[in-house]
Amino acid sequence: MTHLLLDKVSIHYEGQPAPAVERVSIDVAKDDFVVLVGRSGCGKTSLLNVAAGLVEPVRGSATVGGRPITAPGSDRAVVFQNDALFPWLTARENVAFALRLRGVGPSERARRADALLALVKLDGAGDKRIWELSGGMRQRVGLARALAAEPQFLLLDEPLGALDALTRERMQTTLLDLWTASNVGVLMVTHGIEEALVLATRIIVLAPDPGRVVRSFETGFSRRYAAGEAIRSIKADPAFAAARGELTDAIFEGEGA
Amino acid sequence: MTVTSYTERPQRSKADDGADALSVPWSRSRPRRSRVSARMVSAITVLVVLAAWALSARLQLVSPVFLPSPVAVWNKFVVVARDGFVDATLLQHIAASLWRVFAALIAAVFVGVPIGLAIGISIIGRGIFDPLLELLRPIPPLAYLPLIIIWFGIGEPSKILVIAIAMLAPVALSTASGVRGVSQERINAARALGATRTQLVRHVILPSALPSILTGLRIALGAGWSTLVAAELVAATRGLGFMIQSAAQFLVTDVVVMGILVIAAFAFVLEFIIRRIERVLVPWAGRE
Repeated sequence: MTHLLLDKVSIHYEGQPAPAVERVSIDVAKDDFVVLVGRSGCGKTSLLNVAAGLVEPVRGSATVGGRPITAPGSDRAVVFQNDALFPWLTARENVAFALRLRGVGPSERARRADALLALVKLDGAGDKRIWELSGGMRQRVGLARALAAEPQFLLLDEPLGALDALTRERMQTTLLDLWTASNVGVLMVTHGIEEALVLATRIIVLAPDPGRVVRSFETGFSRRYAAGEAIRSIKADPAFAAARGELTDAIFEGEGA
Repeated sequence: MTVTSYTERPQRSKADDGADALSVPWSRSRPRRSRVSARMVSAITVLVVLAAWALSARLQLVSPVFLPSPVAVWNKFVVVARDGFVDATLLQHIAASLWRVFAALIAAVFVGVPIGLAIGISIIGRGIFDPLLELLRPIPPLAYLPLIIIWFGIGEPSKILVIAIAMLAPVALSTASGVRGVSQERINAARALGATRTQLVRHVILPSALPSILTGLRIALGAGWSTLVAAELVAATRGLGFMIQSAAQFLVTDVVVMGILVIAAFAFVLEFIIRRIERVLVPWAGRE
């Protein structure tokens, strides 16, 4: 099985006195949903950017399927907090962007883009202009656009961070549906503790100064959702509350709160 | 080419929103119940200026040689439109001038946009073109016009060249600033979707910079009009600038004033057309 592997990665930005991240290893298998959490400055986004090929680690290695990551590639699609959609294109054309780059013909492009829009529950919004869409809809378009590249891994940098609480909750189930339907491994950065628990198969807790792994949890809540359990019933489970307490403690450990 | 800093935010000038941007903020925050609109005030202002002009001409405050009456200018407009002035009809003068401005604009776009792109995406490009443009920009076209005539003669190419040079800097610099304003996230997203360098420029950077490029065209047209008259002073036989100049030599002031108004009218219409084009081509500008 293909793995996205960060092996003892250290990141040191030029001109900074201390490294941002020191010796962090992350292993994402193709059916994993790995979530990075931690206080600000713990290097979550930096690690995601290493996986994306946007930041080069000073030590350690980043590989996908055994090949070193040197640049962004369509095997690792990225979705950012700000959707970074192209406003001169319609929603459908945005989704089809990766296909257009590959020279896929117009009708085939439209067909696949519409299928992806349906997958993110945006049927019929294909002709809409980007600025006509709400924040949640834009993030759905962003996800569909990332999936159009048929990536093996999806890298999500706080994709729900800019959304209101209700939209966010609905997007969490959309993310899980996508993950189960499309057979991609996910590496996601978030600030939301509950979000991490709902989505992850593994949660990696990072601490700052320098960024390092303090704990790693295996969680089963998202697999329960994939098996058909309702998200409400999962959240109502006492085990969920217990896990939330444990995760919160881990994040704020050593901060003397 | 190396893609360099994209850290600056896109500069989206307020002026893009049209004349409304000039109105004071507090007049907008209130519900519109005022009976006076800016447009009405503008119309009245123009009428008052016209009336003052007509009145001073009627009262002979200044000699008609210096200031012909609006009616005389209008009559002259009709006569010149019908019979022409200095061996060419008004339409031919207008056509000659418009052709020069447009030919220059097209040349400036074909040269200026690639230069702007080079400045925006490559360190070497910026190193080469930035100083050249900054040197060229402040020089008044009248200063290098004689040199261009020495080099290229007094034919049509020199006139178009002078106007094009005046347009080059605004086009190139606006393009460059538009290119540098493309958000890093947008670039990264496109790269992660598999865009090559060339695809990045064509499918992401150029469309992103389009609003800024169009603003550059508007500024360039302004610069072009002001250079036009200067270019046509020199051994032209047609054109609005030539018409004004030859009329001035014979103190035919009504033709001079008429020519000025025709230039103003065309500049106004062109500006209007470009704003329209902007609305069609870059409807997302300011809405992201």
